[in-house]
Amino acid sequence: MNDPYKVLNVPYNATDEEIKQAYRKLAKKYHPDRYQNSPLAESASEKMKEINEAYDRIKAERKTGKHSNSNSYGNYYTSQSESTSSDIYREVRILINSERYDQAEALLDSILSIDRDANWYYYKSLLAYRKGWLEEAYNYASTACHIDPSNVEYQAFYNRVAEQRRGNYGGYRPSSADGCGCCDMLMCMLCSDCFCNGCCGT
Amino acid sequence: MFGYLQPLKDELRLKDFQLYKSVYCGLCRHLGKDYGILSRMTLSYDCTVLAMLSMSLNHEKCSVTKGRCTCNPAKKCMFCDSDGESFALAGAVSVIMSYYKMKDTIQDSGFFKKTAAFFIKAVLHRNYKKAAKKYPKIDELVSDMMKHQLEAEKNDAGVDVAAEPTAKLISALCKEFSPNESQTRVLEVFGYFVGRWIYLIDAADDLEKDMKHKNFNPFSTKVQENISDTMTYCNEVLNMTASQLVLSYELLEIDQYKEILNNIIYAGIPSMQKKCLFDKYEKTKTTDYYEALTQKTL
Repeated sequence: MNDPYKVLNVPYNATDEEIKQAYRKLAKKYHPDRYQNSPLAESASEKMKEINEAYDRIKAERKTGKHSNSNSYGNYYTSQSESTSSDIYREVRILINSERYDQAEALLDSILSIDRDANWYYYKSLLAYRKGWLEEAYNYASTACHIDPSNVEYQAFYNRVAEQRRGNYGGYRPSSADGCGCCDMLMCMLCSDCFCNGCCGT
Repeated sequence: MFGYLQPLKDELRLKDFQLYKSVYCGLCRHLGKDYGILSRMTLSYDCTVLAMLSMSLNHEKCSVTKGRCTCNPAKKCMFCDSDGESFALAGAVSVIMSYYKMKDTIQDSGFFKKTAAFFIKAVLHRNYKKAAKKYPKIDELVSDMMKHQLEAEKNDAGVDVAAEPTAKLISALCKEFSPNESQTRVLEVFGYFVGRWIYLIDAADDLEKDMKHKNFNPFSTKVQENISDTMTYCNEVLNMTASQLVLSYELLEIDQYKEILNNIIYAGIPSMQKKCLFDKYEKTKTTDYYEALTQKTL
């Protein structure tokens, strides 16, 4: 296993508080919420696991041999809401998760156009998002929300996509004033380590 | 490639900027050594980034030497060299892509451009042969990409389909220098969105020109009355791509050049979007745009 101090990017003589902070920062960065539905969700969760393990190990080591397996971040990223009732959509979800995109697409397209409800558009959107066809993903997500505005799951997905388009997670946000917009703040929060090294490191 | 991936100099520390330049000059020298002096003109910022990323992920040792610039002997340069494959790979990508780009230009350009491209292609031909022999896979990837691109343009494809060939190409290229299996997956996705971003910003940048000459552009169906609305739309598309790019970038195990690569992703990309989509239109008159727009609606 990797050196836990290297994983958290802290010096060996870091204080407990510093380690905690470094851990929180990384946990935020690789938090599954950020990678939800992303093709890299698995890689992110592996990274998250690595960070969790490193933090636990350091904590255990510092307690001099007293092992603790408590995992404060471990639980709340495994729970995923599953609201599909129909078997076909469950199947589509499985196909998408196992990266069989063509089969998922074929299955979705086999549904007759009169039966295509908000859920259908939502799954089309998820599939497109996974494939990297972001325009299609955006359009399908907005249609799903339009048909069924009360669905929380669609709305949450659409909101995230819309935030991305506004430039809150990367790219350029035109309305922000030079240098201190919300975008920069967020970027700073998410990747403060790089910016600190880049601008204020000695 | 097109030179859209660049660091934002203003936010880079001097020592990092010098390091960046040394990689740029190192690649230039490597091109000269491998393929002869004329291949140096294919040098691009994108291939520099490619070399840097590959060196970083593969933990290649980099040595910097001082020397004179071959193009301008009065100038002194720092040259970076690595003990790995990175420079050779980036050089081959540079030569092969430039060759195919010229081939493409010959097919669909005006007389003068066509003639110029013809000569450059002739000059590059031997270099291309050498690069393609050494890296047949890259040659195959690029030629496939060109074929698919042509097909997409013929069918008047939308944004997603039109961006796919470039995205797939960069994705496959990035996979070539993956250090291990878990990074391969990340690099594949990272490359996809880098390629998509490069293709789309190039398309948005050329939108006005393409409309005037009635060339294919994936954004041409999205054009709105007002230029700033159109550019806001393009910016949204690019932002979404950049968000995905950032997500995958953060899963890469970057070793050296971290400051430079971070700068490119978090500062270079936004500032390039600003420059290509918004700053350009503040300076120029908007009449050109309206002319092109009316021509299109007629």
